[in-house]
Amino acid sequence: MDPTVIRTLLGDVLQLTGEHIILVGVSCSVAILIGVSAGILGTRHATVRRLSVTAASVLQTIPSLALFGFLLPIPYIGGIGRHTAMVALVLYSLLPILRNTIVGITSVSPPVREAAIAMGMTDPQILRLVELPLAAPTILAGIRIALVTNIGTAVIAAVIGGGGLGELIFRGVASVNTLEILAGAIPAAGLALLADAGMSLLERKIAPV
Amino acid sequence: MDAKGNNLPYLSFREVSYSVAGRSILDRLSFDLERGETLVLLGQSGSGKTTALRLINRMLDPTGGDVYLDGEPVRALDPIVLRRRIGYVIQDFGLLPHWTVAENVALVPRLLRWPAERQRQRVGELLQQVGLDPATFGSRRPRQLSGGQMQRVAVARALAAEPALLLFDEPFGALDPLTRREMQQQFLDLRSRYHLASVFVTHDLLEALALGTRIAVLHAGVLETIVTPQEFFSVKTPVARAFLDTLPKTTTQGACQ
Repeated sequence: MDPTVIRTLLGDVLQLTGEHIILVGVSCSVAILIGVSAGILGTRHATVRRLSVTAASVLQTIPSLALFGFLLPIPYIGGIGRHTAMVALVLYSLLPILRNTIVGITSVSPPVREAAIAMGMTDPQILRLVELPLAAPTILAGIRIALVTNIGTAVIAAVIGGGGLGELIFRGVASVNTLEILAGAIPAAGLALLADAGMSLLERKIAPV
Repeated sequence: MDAKGNNLPYLSFREVSYSVAGRSILDRLSFDLERGETLVLLGQSGSGKTTALRLINRMLDPTGGDVYLDGEPVRALDPIVLRRRIGYVIQDFGLLPHWTVAENVALVPRLLRWPAERQRQRVGELLQQVGLDPATFGSRRPRQLSGGQMQRVAVARALAAEPALLLFDEPFGALDPLTRREMQQQFLDLRSRYHLASVFVTHDLLEALALGTRIAVLHAGVLETIVTPQEFFSVKTPVARAFLDTLPKTTTQGACQ
């Protein structure tokens, strides 16, 4: 095979992998910020919990390709390009993070919570010293699901000009070029496996009790 | 007379009622308690005894009447400040599982921002007092302890910030009889050492007789009678009689002497 073709392809793979990581990294960070905050609020206010979980569940049921489609005509956040892809990925990652934050916090055992209140902890202290540390493994598990799913979903972001490894795959499919398809698919799968392993390591490290 | 120079009892319930959704849980409960005394709230499940306890540290607020602590109505006090002044021990220990024994005991002093050295000293002193060697147990986690040891830690935690009032919600109910006996003895030692006032919830008459300076019998949220342990044997009210009937005859005679 022509070495220049290989060299160009390799360059593409590197650049697109970088784009992919940024796409996933930024959208996941925003999703963690929103998901964990909404989850904490949800454990304090039943209405917030109901609304946020319902909204996130509905978003999750929309097929990812359709979600990208829905966002396109929306002013400011929509349109062709990376930011639309980011918004879609954030929305898509919310549910597991939100749900696991709520589950993690609400499953702190009643006697532990009762004692924390009776000892005179304020609500922020209970959150910081008791609930979040005890919920951390559950929250991390949610982030892990969101992150790994997100890496896969980000592949589809290429259809709306989001960049990333999906570009290679779609290009390969269009030109019936197996090498190109694999050059996109293999690094994407590798990223997902790597993220999963990394998160599992982190989970084990902070699993306290 | 207390430090403020008035004649008010240390802890006082005045016609305290609590109801939720129209259902009365506690109906016009009144009693007084001085330092050094232990009031045992004796009753069946659902008699309102735990509710009465929670009205003291404002985990609940009464729907009628007032609770006074050291002459002040507790409803006028900040619940956070109030709770840090009152020790609290529950049946299921409620130790923080991700903290060491020493960290658990130091909880309230830490909230009160005691200097680290004073916290450390206090923890050592208290673990010693409840019969746990600080060097051995200080760095352990709750899950590495037996039930009796966990409850010792919980008692040490309740005493940490030198409260004048302790609340016990069936603290020894989950322990085996021998450990329970030891803990009861320890409770009596601590009470006399610190001249503590305590309110002790139990459904065990023997425990009530052993620990109470007075016993209040609650039934369906109403105070049936309030008597000393000696007087308890001659009480004629139905629930008190029913509790007495649970004692084996020999025990009753023995305790009468």
